[in-house]
Amino acid sequence: MSDPILSLQNVHKSFGEAHIIRDANLDVIPGERHAVIGPNGAGKSTLFHLCSGQFAPSEGKILLNGTNIAGLKPAEVNRRGLARSFQITNIFPGVSVFENLRLAVMRKHNLQFVFWRSVARLRRVNAEVDELLTRIRLSDRAYSLASQLSYSEQRSLEIGMTLASDPQVILLDEPMAGMSHEETNYTAGLIREITEGRTLLIVEHDMGVVFSLAHRISVLVYGEIVATGTPEEIRGNARVKEAYLGEEAA
Amino acid sequence: MKYAPLLLLLTVAVLVALPWLVSGSMLNAAVQMLIAALFAMAFGLLCGQAGLLSFGHAAYFGVGAFAAVHAMNAFGGEGLLPTPLLPLVGGATGLVSGLLAGYFSTKRTGVYFAMITLALAELLHALAPHLKTVFGGEAGVSSFRMPAWGIGFGSLNDVYFLTLVWTLLCIGLLYLFSKTPLGRLALGLRENAHRLRFLGYNTHALGTLIFAVSAMFAGVAGALQSMNIEAANYVVLESHISTAVVLNSFIGGVRVFLGPAIGGAVMTFFGHVTSDLTRVWLLYQGIIFVLVMMFLPRGIVGELVERLRSPGSEGFAGTLGTTLMRLASLAVAAFGGVFLVEFLQRFLSAEYRAGVQEGIWPNITLFSHDWAPLSVLPWGFGFGLFGLGIALVVMVNRRVAARKEAQA
Ligand SMILES: Nc1ncnc2c1ncn2[C@@H]1O[C@H](COP(=O)(O)OP(=O)(O)O)[C@@H](O)[C@H]1O
Ligand SMILES: [Mg+2]
Repeated sequence: MSDPILSLQNVHKSFGEAHIIRDANLDVIPGERHAVIGPNGAGKSTLFHLCSGQFAPSEGKILLNGTNIAGLKPAEVNRRGLARSFQITNIFPGVSVFENLRLAVMRKHNLQFVFWRSVARLRRVNAEVDELLTRIRLSDRAYSLASQLSYSEQRSLEIGMTLASDPQVILLDEPMAGMSHEETNYTAGLIREITEGRTLLIVEHDMGVVFSLAHRISVLVYGEIVATGTPEEIRGNARVKEAYLGEEAA
Repeated sequence: MKYAPLLLLLTVAVLVALPWLVSGSMLNAAVQMLIAALFAMAFGLLCGQAGLLSFGHAAYFGVGAFAAVHAMNAFGGEGLLPTPLLPLVGGATGLVSGLLAGYFSTKRTGVYFAMITLALAELLHALAPHLKTVFGGEAGVSSFRMPAWGIGFGSLNDVYFLTLVWTLLCIGLLYLFSKTPLGRLALGLRENAHRLRFLGYNTHALGTLIFAVSAMFAGVAGALQSMNIEAANYVVLESHISTAVVLNSFIGGVRVFLGPAIGGAVMTFFGHVTSDLTRVWLLYQGIIFVLVMMFLPRGIVGELVERLRSPGSEGFAGTLGTTLMRLASLAVAAFGGVFLVEFLQRFLSAEYRAGVQEGIWPNITLFSHDWAPLSVLPWGFGFGLFGLGIALVVMVNRRVAARKEAQA
């Protein structure tokens, strides 16, 4: 087994008295699609917040490519190759869909404090935006305001923005929530395609998606990772069945 | 929108021809309008595009004004800094002070940002009287525009063209800026700074830079102002200057590109016209602001653009028709309202009170007519017109609603 690309070591997170993440240990292998499942309120989103710099862990280390990123700012984590999407849609509502993606793509091309070039002339950037638009099937909505998209279209845009920076490690927090069956299938295919050659950590409630997409699955219950393994191992794990899968597995 | 370039060209042509079209006093007003327009555009970049509402923009306007006067005195309008280039000094000073102030204020957003900008401006305003060498004490600092490049800069015409060129140039630059990556990121900052951080952007540095660019253009506007009056006084740092630019920009429409400029120009024009006619101009300014915010929250230009973009079910001609009818009705109501305000202002003034003797209330002259204050006539006239105007607006609105319903 190669060195983990993302590694959580004895991570704790408490908000005041509430211990939300308790001694979480997780190794994500380069190139794998790794799903995190667990009941509502288990701390899955919090785990993502810790990995992406939204919160600093109370204790423990989070290694990305071997360097500790615990407590780094979101922008610094992103620059080290980790991008994420949000469970609650987090886009730029008052500008066009195209602009949303362009803002996301520009960073990769180091266009931040640039005031001497016109965005209309950024051919590479605009071409990449067009390509992303096609992939997330929003080409015909390119010039609508993002706020005017339907909920599931906004979810697609959220994924598109996450991909835009061409990250090594992608964290997707319930990307398919609120999507129709057809949209879910398409998005699962898209995620499979775009995570080729990258590493994916995904939280998803649709067990069909999880078990077909993930190489490995970790189960988070009350802030603790109670099991990690291949889909078969997780299906067969008694502790998981008892703690979480319960009737669903039966 | 396809007529936009044509409209723009026409506007510029009129502006260039203006000295031959209007009187000297009006041309003087035009200089003020241009300066107000540029100042509002600078504010609009920060507030409308980056979503950062500054309550202290007078500070950057003010430092630009003082810097230009000092440079005028130091260089005598020659050498490295001939008169036409003096606004550069204002811009540079604005930029540097904007970097400093922006660094601190953009550590926060929303109300806290606004409070920091207000506090910084008030700090400068409080310090200014004590820094006599910089701000010249109560007398201020004065100077003379020197000839340069074969231009005298003594006449109003020369000043007008100097102001016009700089204003158009700066507005052009602001337009180009809005099309650059940094300019686009201003929108990102306004829409969702949190998301920008997760996309790898340094939102604090972005905010600081955009603040500084805004302060730079405010500084240019300040320099044009002090060059126009050949003096600067610390009253330019007063908070009402900061307030006026906020109100003007919102009245014009802070989120559409030329909205702030038009707001600044129109309100300055009104101020110029009415300052000789009324003593309560500030009251009218406040009323206009409240009305615009209540009924045209996008601002005058913002609402216009929106109507043009989606004329609705009535079509363009229909919309134009109802808009004209509404405006006419509003004009009737406004006339009634203005009559009442002016009448009351005269009625309640100390001079009038002094003239009242033994229960005899002298007539009040208003709109070249003598009105007896205790008769129903003036009150009935004012309230009548006001009510009539409002009733007409309501009628127009009802008809539009009925037509829409019939279509649906
Ligand atoms: N900022 C916070 N402050 C306090 N409690 C929080 C905060 N964020 C999340 N929690 C709590 O942490 C628990 C886990 O939340 P979350 O990570 O969103 O769960 P999941 O994504 O697995 O449904 C919940 O009980 C939630 O109320
Ligand atoms: Mg969650």
